[in-house]
Amino acid sequence: MTNRYANTWALVRLNLRHDWLKIALWIAGLAGLMASAAAKFEGIYGSQHAMASIAKTLKTPAMVSLLGPFTAKPPYTTAVIYGAEMMVFMGLFAAMMNVFFAVHATRDEEDTGTSELILAHAVGRQSPLLAAIIELIVINGGAGVLEAVGLQAANMPGANAAGSWLFGLGLGVFGFMFGTFALLFAQVASSARTATILSYAWLGVLFVARMGTDVKDPDLTWWTIFGWIEKMALYTANVWTPVLMMAGLSVIVLAMTVSVAALRDIGAGLVEPRSGRQTGSALLRGPLMLLARLERMSTTIWLIGLFLLGASYGSIFGTVGDLVKTNPMMAKLLGSSGVNAANRAVVMGLANTLVVIFAVVAVVPAISTLLRLNSDERKSYLELLHAAPVSRLRLFLSFAAHALAVGTAALALGVLGMAVAGNAAMSTPISVARFMRGFVGYWPALLIVCGAAAVLAALLPRLQAVIWIVPVYGVLSMFLGPMLDFPKWAQRLTPFGWVNKVPQHAVAWGPFAWMTGLGVVLFVVAYLGYRRRDLTMN
Amino acid sequence: MMAAVLSIDHLQKRFGKFEALKDITFSIEPGEVFGFIGPNGAGKSTTIRTLLGILRPTGGQATIFGLDAWRDAVSIHKRIAYVPGDVNLWPNLSGGEVIDFLLRLNGQTHTPRTDELIKQFDLDATKKARTYSKGNRQKVALIAAFSSRADLYIFDEPTSGLDPLMEEVFQQQVLALKAAGKSVLLSSHILSEVERMCDRIAIIRQGEIIEVGTLAEMRQLSRSTVRAATQQPLAAIQALPAVHQFEAKTPTQAVFSVDAEAIGDVVAALSRLGITQLTTTPPTLEDLFLRYYNQEGGSHD
Repeated sequence: MTNRYANTWALVRLNLRHDWLKIALWIAGLAGLMASAAAKFEGIYGSQHAMASIAKTLKTPAMVSLLGPFTAKPPYTTAVIYGAEMMVFMGLFAAMMNVFFAVHATRDEEDTGTSELILAHAVGRQSPLLAAIIELIVINGGAGVLEAVGLQAANMPGANAAGSWLFGLGLGVFGFMFGTFALLFAQVASSARTATILSYAWLGVLFVARMGTDVKDPDLTWWTIFGWIEKMALYTANVWTPVLMMAGLSVIVLAMTVSVAALRDIGAGLVEPRSGRQTGSALLRGPLMLLARLERMSTTIWLIGLFLLGASYGSIFGTVGDLVKTNPMMAKLLGSSGVNAANRAVVMGLANTLVVIFAVVAVVPAISTLLRLNSDERKSYLELLHAAPVSRLRLFLSFAAHALAVGTAALALGVLGMAVAGNAAMSTPISVARFMRGFVGYWPALLIVCGAAAVLAALLPRLQAVIWIVPVYGVLSMFLGPMLDFPKWAQRLTPFGWVNKVPQHAVAWGPFAWMTGLGVVLFVVAYLGYRRRDLTMN
Repeated sequence: MMAAVLSIDHLQKRFGKFEALKDITFSIEPGEVFGFIGPNGAGKSTTIRTLLGILRPTGGQATIFGLDAWRDAVSIHKRIAYVPGDVNLWPNLSGGEVIDFLLRLNGQTHTPRTDELIKQFDLDATKKARTYSKGNRQKVALIAAFSSRADLYIFDEPTSGLDPLMEEVFQQQVLALKAAGKSVLLSSHILSEVERMCDRIAIIRQGEIIEVGTLAEMRQLSRSTVRAATQQPLAAIQALPAVHQFEAKTPTQAVFSVDAEAIGDVVAALSRLGITQLTTTPPTLEDLFLRYYNQEGGSHD
């Protein structure tokens, strides 16, 4: 026992010293977001009238699918509304943070060979894993306490210590649970990249599952694991059962992780990597096809994932676009054609929100391909390419083309999935072409974000990761914007805010043209910078 | 005389304040195997990367086939093959896929010669690059380079991860290129390799070329080691200006080094004392190398 875990504390100290800045930024970001949202909530939702009106919005299937069901009964308090609406997406961020640190502390270290160096010393074979677990406990404990204290300090009307601590600690335990999932995937997968992909796929599946059950039957949400976080009845009953369930599942997953870890070799996954081809496929020629081959797996996952995300949102259109069910008076007032028009307007309004989500998500694989231009170079994968008759223009265009192709296809498939599943669920279908306006309208925004990523990659390669702020801010403004009453300029900070309301309106071709032009200009600027610079960055 | 395949003229490269290359000048003639030696950090890889157009020179000029290394990189690259010292391959491709991909980039194909090389270098081409050791990754790049038809082959410490058996295969392949009249630039730490294969050698130190020439020419500039035994005491030999590091074992036995151009005079002086035993050893490349790099000894004396 002692031998397998020898010197764990030294590793924990080392990890924390390496990662303290990242940890501090993540925790400060999460707790700061919560505290500032709480402060803002007080201002916006001070009166019963304001609260009743937001409660109505929050009960619509669209908001339920995004934020979870709104189950509180009047009279509302600010804290109750806050507790009901902030949990799901705070949980999403907490889970992402934990996937990052879990993979970083285990698989990443093995991939870079650091583990090998460390394990050659008087360190137990399982010490790095145990150290990672302890690091996650420290991170989530710190985040949970800080969040609870922040909520206490914000002191919203209706808030009490019991609810604030349940929120903070519940979120911490929830995050830790996803950390343990990621640790398990890190044992099974044969590289950090695969471990991250598996963790996010699992997170996505659970999130989409809870979305479906929340809209159809919230009781079923108990089966989705992710949905446990919605069941704490914050600032009302303050139920601790879900927290205990999360802690229990974490322990079970950890037990599995430890036993799987004992079965595998350092640097290898549980699944042995298959051997590859003796010769290259006839298609494998030129840098573009090389990228397509390298990214084959992740491209497939993104495209299928976007289609499924679209389809799962589309499948609630039947419920969303049936106002008569929630309000029988309407049929009498409007007549059947009037009801149809009203239903259609509701669906199209939701479709607009969803297309923004798809665009923000579709940007992610595109950015990660563009950033490979530098990261592959730093790993010196590209050195052999540089010595071949491949011009910088061709190399640059290959990365740009692959990024745009994947981003474009992902966005199109998201909208298509939504349209197809939506039409299957609705009694009066809406033409797919109408939905596709959303794709056309938001495509230039995708182009601009990719162009900006290319400019950073070419001119400021060290700072290229800064581009991730765009999708993160996109997600934040999407979730928080409507609730926090974001001013217009705040919504216009990213190109996603420059597009008119499609698909309910027709594509505005003026903005389409100048945004596309701007995107192209960004790519040209990026190329000019890339052409001139030294390639190796070390 | 044919034009040089590669010519570097007062090449300079600085990274910020650090002058990686101060003054590099040398050229490679057609059909020549050119050795490029120097200690770690002297600028060998930087020179090669500048030749490949990966780095942009700060001053001076580098041309290959008469074309500018930075501006005409693509045209140049069609006719060269390159093996870096640190070969890093995309982890999820198999060795076979990488070899074919690299060949196709240069408009060439997988030939029976490729298969033969895979066999000679004893590479399992079906394995993913993730699982290859350093030596196996080098083999992948070497196989791709040797099986492509190029006019200039550039090897940057290509054998640092190979076992002695594979090093032998590498040397045979380079000698085959030489026999076929190809030009080769070989940067290496393994001096026996350079000594065996290279026609001419450049020695680089701290970003400067300090010597270029054939091994014979360099030996001319250096000293041979002499072990002599004579009938009469030979202490007087020590006084000759061409004799250095004189060490007497007994009054009639000594070991010392002699400037190459004065070896005849010294032997004549010894013979007057009645030689009973005499061996002279020309300096090895290693001796030359150490002498050039010996800080105390200096390099220009």
